[in-house]
Amino acid sequence: MHELSVALSLLEGIEETASRDGIARVLAVHVRIGAMSGIAPDALRFSWELATAGTVAAQSALRIEDVPLAVRCERCGEDREPRPARGLVCPVCGAVCPTIVRGRELQLVAMEVPE
Amino acid sequence: MKYHVVQIEQNIMRKNDALAAGLRARFAAGGTLVVNVLSSPGSGKTTLLEETLARLAPRLRVGALVGDQATDNDARRLARSGAPVRQITTAAECRLDADMIGKALQGWDPGPLDVLFIENVGNLICPAEYDLGEDLRTVVFSVTEGEDKPLKYPLAFNTAQVAVVTKIDIADAVGFDRAAAYRSMREVNPRIEIVELSAKIGTGMDGWIGLIEERLRRKVPQPVGAFTV
Repeated sequence: MHELSVALSLLEGIEETASRDGIARVLAVHVRIGAMSGIAPDALRFSWELATAGTVAAQSALRIEDVPLAVRCERCGEDREPRPARGLVCPVCGAVCPTIVRGRELQLVAMEVPE
Repeated sequence: MKYHVVQIEQNIMRKNDALAAGLRARFAAGGTLVVNVLSSPGSGKTTLLEETLARLAPRLRVGALVGDQATDNDARRLARSGAPVRQITTAAECRLDADMIGKALQGWDPGPLDVLFIENVGNLICPAEYDLGEDLRTVVFSVTEGEDKPLKYPLAFNTAQVAVVTKIDIADAVGFDRAAAYRSMREVNPRIEIVELSAKIGTGMDGWIGLIEERLRRKVPQPVGAFTV
């Protein structure tokens, strides 16, 4: 529910890079959003449109890469994706795996700019 | 349109994390134990903190920051303990962040503090994402909530060191399934320490107060100096 502030943080990163590189227009922005980040992709898209109006990234597309939750299973020695709403439990051996290795991402990855 | 890709690779939380690290260093320098209290709305955070401040205030220098989207009702309730309390009104924001804590500390003069409680906005999703520079993250869970709540909001329970189970005086009346609830908690955090209490009638409060005092002793080897804003 803090998608607008996330959108503004993304925009800040875009504006910093754009002004550093002398970029006047951004066509699309790539972000990585973890399943456990607390961010709803649709709400973020909506906030993105609002946040970017009148900026270098106005009307840019937001390309979201979803990252599923993964935990480290010490018993299997592997990273595993727990079943939704079943706890941080290894779907293979049933061990509880409290170490989250992926799924908390909130990352600004890249932007597409005109040639 | 022809385009090229500019790689950035930036963590959006980096600003909050940097501010939180600054707060943590500042609290450490002052020997202040900081406790971030998370929960759903209505789980009894404010009642727990009212009773906690009242019990600790005669012995320790305690204070509280209270986050809510609107009103300063909770701050007024906590201030009755005599401890310094400041309300943070977050408006549209669904959680506290490190910047809000930093700003709330400016222009607030609670004097040196041994323990600072931060009552987060009632919400189990967003607050879990934000480090506030705390030493101890506590998730409050009342016996009237579903036993599977930790499975629905795993990050809050996964990132907490302590779960305080409140309203234990009505556990039987509401059919609280203790085993199921604790199993859910341990399925997202096997190391979580669980404390049962009723802030209203006092059951279990000694254990909770003892836990805070123990954490404070671990934080401050020699009780000298304290955090001054």
